[in-house]
Amino acid sequence: MKNECRTQNDGDFVLVTVSGEVDLSWSQQIRKAILDGLAKAGAVGVELSQVSYIDSSGIAALVEGFQNARGKGQKFALIAASPSVRGVLELARLDRVFPMVDTVEAARA
Amino acid sequence: MAGRALLKLTIPAKAEALKSLRDALNEALDRTGAEAGVRERLVLAVHEAACNVIRHAYPDGADGSIRLSLTRQRGNLRFWLRDFAPPVDPKAIKPRDLSECRPGGLGINFIDDTMDSWRLRPVKHHRGNVLTMRKRLRGTGHQ
Repeated sequence: MKNECRTQNDGDFVLVTVSGEVDLSWSQQIRKAILDGLAKAGAVGVELSQVSYIDSSGIAALVEGFQNARGKGQKFALIAASPSVRGVLELARLDRVFPMVDTVEAARA
Repeated sequence: MAGRALLKLTIPAKAEALKSLRDALNEALDRTGAEAGVRERLVLAVHEAACNVIRHAYPDGADGSIRLSLTRQRGNLRFWLRDFAPPVDPKAIKPRDLSECRPGGLGINFIDDTMDSWRLRPVKHHRGNVLTMRKRLRGTGHQ
């Protein structure tokens, strides 16, 4: 799976779709995509079903997005987090912190 | 501790080299018979240790390298990660409180949670630091 971060704008909702192995070499790209999304829309969803690996820098990008959104009263959710992502979130005791949904539609609602 | 060498690897202390470290380590751990979930945790812990070297040990993106070796003696794995950066203060390196929700600072927690023990110390009489991490594998038999 190729390392990729794609952004789609849909009205007041931004979908950031991440795939591949998220690590220090490119996690800043994901961080920027999330923060850019929050700067232009009221809600951001981060789709993570195709993420086969994530390190603490990737988790940090998600945390920063979540805190940023919460501070401004914006919506932020993780969508379809892969088992790898869920495992690392549990290790970081963050699995009950993020709003997590199974579909993009649920994130938009 | 002596033991059978399963992996010896040197990578540049650059984030782009981390994938090669993970792949080589994953392959070496696969040969131990460790189950997938355990392998993933071990690879993550060692990866995080290498990330800490890249981010904190070599100042301002200075060129440097990271050496990793993995040995096994019966069911005991020993990971040895060496850098050639200025000495660290081991007392300053500790897991943080995970009840605080904030980005960053998770690497040492991942190492601490995964490994049975770990120790970071400057190398005596030479430049650099060594992080030694140990993990006992369960149920894989002796080799």
